[in-house]
Amino acid sequence: MSEYVLELKGITKIFPGVKALNNVQFQLLPGEVHALMGENGAGKSTFIKVITGVHKAEEGEIFLDGEKVDFKGPKDAQEAGIAAVYQHPTSYPDLTVAENIFMGHEIVKNHMIQWGAMNAEANKLLQKLDADFDAKAEMGTLSVAQQQMVEIAKAISTNARIIILDEPTASLTRAESEKLYKLVDQLKEDGVSIIFISHRFEDMYRLASRVTVFRDSQYIGTYPVDGITNADLIKAMVGREITTMYPKPKVEIGDEVLRIEHFSMPGYFKDVSFNVRAGEILGMTGLVGAGRTEVVEAVCGITQVEEGKVYLNREEIHIRKPIDAMKKGIILLPEDRQKEGLIMSWGLGRNVTLPIMGKYAKRGLNDNKKEREVSRDLLESVDTKAVDIFQPASSLSGGNQQKVVVAKALGQEMKVVIMDEPTKGVDVGAKAEIYAIMGDLAKQGYAIILISSEMPEILGMADRIFVMCNGRKTGELMREEATQEIILDLSMEKASGKEAR
Amino acid sequence: MAGKSGRTINNIPENPVRKMIFSWEGILFLLLIAINIFCSMYSEFYNISSLLRQMPVYLAEVFLMLGMAFILVMGEIDISVGSIVCLSATLACLSSNAGLPFPAVFLVSLLVGTACGIVNALILTNFQELPPMIVTLSTQIIFRGLAEIILGSGGSVSVSNTAGFRAIAGKVGQVPYILFLVLILAVIYAVVLGKSTFGRSVYAIGTNRTTAYYSGIPVQKIRFVIYTLMGTLCGVCAMFLISNSYGANTTTGENFEMDAIAMAVFGGIMSTGGRGNIAGGVISAIIIVCLRVGLGQRNVNAQVILLIIGLLLICTVGLPNLVKNMRQTRKVKKN
Repeated sequence: MSEYVLELKGITKIFPGVKALNNVQFQLLPGEVHALMGENGAGKSTFIKVITGVHKAEEGEIFLDGEKVDFKGPKDAQEAGIAAVYQHPTSYPDLTVAENIFMGHEIVKNHMIQWGAMNAEANKLLQKLDADFDAKAEMGTLSVAQQQMVEIAKAISTNARIIILDEPTASLTRAESEKLYKLVDQLKEDGVSIIFISHRFEDMYRLASRVTVFRDSQYIGTYPVDGITNADLIKAMVGREITTMYPKPKVEIGDEVLRIEHFSMPGYFKDVSFNVRAGEILGMTGLVGAGRTEVVEAVCGITQVEEGKVYLNREEIHIRKPIDAMKKGIILLPEDRQKEGLIMSWGLGRNVTLPIMGKYAKRGLNDNKKEREVSRDLLESVDTKAVDIFQPASSLSGGNQQKVVVAKALGQEMKVVIMDEPTKGVDVGAKAEIYAIMGDLAKQGYAIILISSEMPEILGMADRIFVMCNGRKTGELMREEATQEIILDLSMEKASGKEAR
Repeated sequence: MAGKSGRTINNIPENPVRKMIFSWEGILFLLLIAINIFCSMYSEFYNISSLLRQMPVYLAEVFLMLGMAFILVMGEIDISVGSIVCLSATLACLSSNAGLPFPAVFLVSLLVGTACGIVNALILTNFQELPPMIVTLSTQIIFRGLAEIILGSGGSVSVSNTAGFRAIAGKVGQVPYILFLVLILAVIYAVVLGKSTFGRSVYAIGTNRTTAYYSGIPVQKIRFVIYTLMGTLCGVCAMFLISNSYGANTTTGENFEMDAIAMAVFGGIMSTGGRGNIAGGVISAIIIVCLRVGLGQRNVNAQVILLIIGLLLICTVGLPNLVKNMRQTRKVKKN
């Protein structure tokens, strides 16, 4: 017997034109939580797919309990006790929780599915995981956190010994993350080995005993989590040192630019008021589902409020459609880059000029030459890592896609810039660059609203912090007085907090 | 804010001529030539002048293809167009028989078509969650139902004063007016779809509607315009149909929606939205017209012609994937 449950040696995976993995190695101890870190594009996802049998490596060997295995497909890996839970659960939203858990290995007798037994078994699993929903609930009605729980239950139901969690906390709130941590602890106690992929350092410190870092498709090293610092890890991941993560410039804060009064939308938020001034970064935080995104979307005309007023430069304005807000200089950088921010199959240039093409069109016809110049200049101004303006947005990493979203906004005449989770799924190096751009924008006198669930980001960048819970404003803090604890306390549900809904 | 790393991004497009030869339209054009050679070998009467003589019957449907192209690029579908043609033709015939002068009859046809288009547009933009397929299926039944009520079940109407209709069926030398009109409209539609900001917005809506909306594109306004103009084109189509048959009946324009969709899809305009262009649609429409004329001369059954077109269509849907795969393997080999 080898001391490792899972060991990979000299794995090389080649895709047409690129080496996605170059001679990487990995060892997993029994009952260990092992973090796998690296920037986007470092090869983590490909590596996971090699372990789960989705991809077959060109070179290298995989050992399970010291025995060499050869996975021909995902089914082989599944039978060997390896299961993966992804950031966006790949479930069947119209089926019940029980059906999702037992998809592919239903409890069958005489070719008939035993519904009673299956639901009971599923409920037993859910109880063990301390879940707050029933096995008969429809998958699509659950939150992302709950869906992940179902995926984990599914993994346990297949008797998985090795569970891979791929960025499980990326779309979770703090409280939900906390619950996931407990779940992982429990799995560990049951002797399950866990590979944990995350961009969040706190996840790693909280859970993992060892961490392996990949960079540019290569294995960099494996380190014990005890005694490692952020700076060490960032250096290993990025290959250079990042001196200041949050380059918040000193800015003279000017006059009020945007004021929202008594914004209400039944079921989403109630009586929300705030303002933001020139050169100021207003941080909006709270748990996912607190209504932050809904409020700013209403400000930008994506949706309509039932009640409330918007003032721009102290004059009341009326916004009914997104174009109204854009004409007034209120620019939203949406939360979901792939669905709302960009057209992924389009070239970068066309993406950037989509909202502004009408400005330099001649008699309704596109001016392609001007368009190419404008888009190149904008993309270069935010330092996008791209070869040309014709490559599709889908070919860029998350961080660079976000830069394209920023470039798209910069092309418009801006007064207020609303950034909704601008660094979600973005790796450390690109994150620092996005913060630098944000700082630059504030310096140029734009009013900035930053929505974020990441506490360090809010504390690092915001001048003023606005906390929401359950669709209501629960507090406003100045930069100096804000701490993680106070913000967390304000974002938690209080006994009286449910009234707004 | 200048780029800090001094990295530059290329903005010079690759040679368009090369791109054109390898494009779907390029392949279609070669196919058009091949089919013309085949038809003239297969049928001794097939030549340019016979093609031009028999063309007008089929060309009327190309108007519908132009409108359908916009709708398909938007990722939607309109299957009520055949019924709109029927209703427009019916009312145009009746108003002609009621003594209206020809220009007024033409106007009636356009207005009826436009009105039907507006009905579709109003429903679709006000109830955005309804799928266009279902909405236009309902209006398909309603519009033809209206025509049937007017004509009586299985009824028909003939125009008594054919002078005006004969005039629009006229020719310059051998070339029928309708061909000129189709080509002029095709050029206008191609420029609007391919070169204008409006066209770009249509592609944006067809590729990612949410992003288009977030980017300030008036999605519903554009949908309204496109469905309305589709109706207007149905009115045009109806007039040229009457100029061929001097009348209308309850089956006028039946299956025209499918013909229009077939022409567009065969031309590389994907029903999933965001892909294809008018040039492809027009070339494929001409291919289909040539096939119908060529095979029709040898008395090939209309159903068999449909079968051949259907087979071509299936091959077409498969072929782009094949071409793409071939190009990719070529690229990999180069590396």
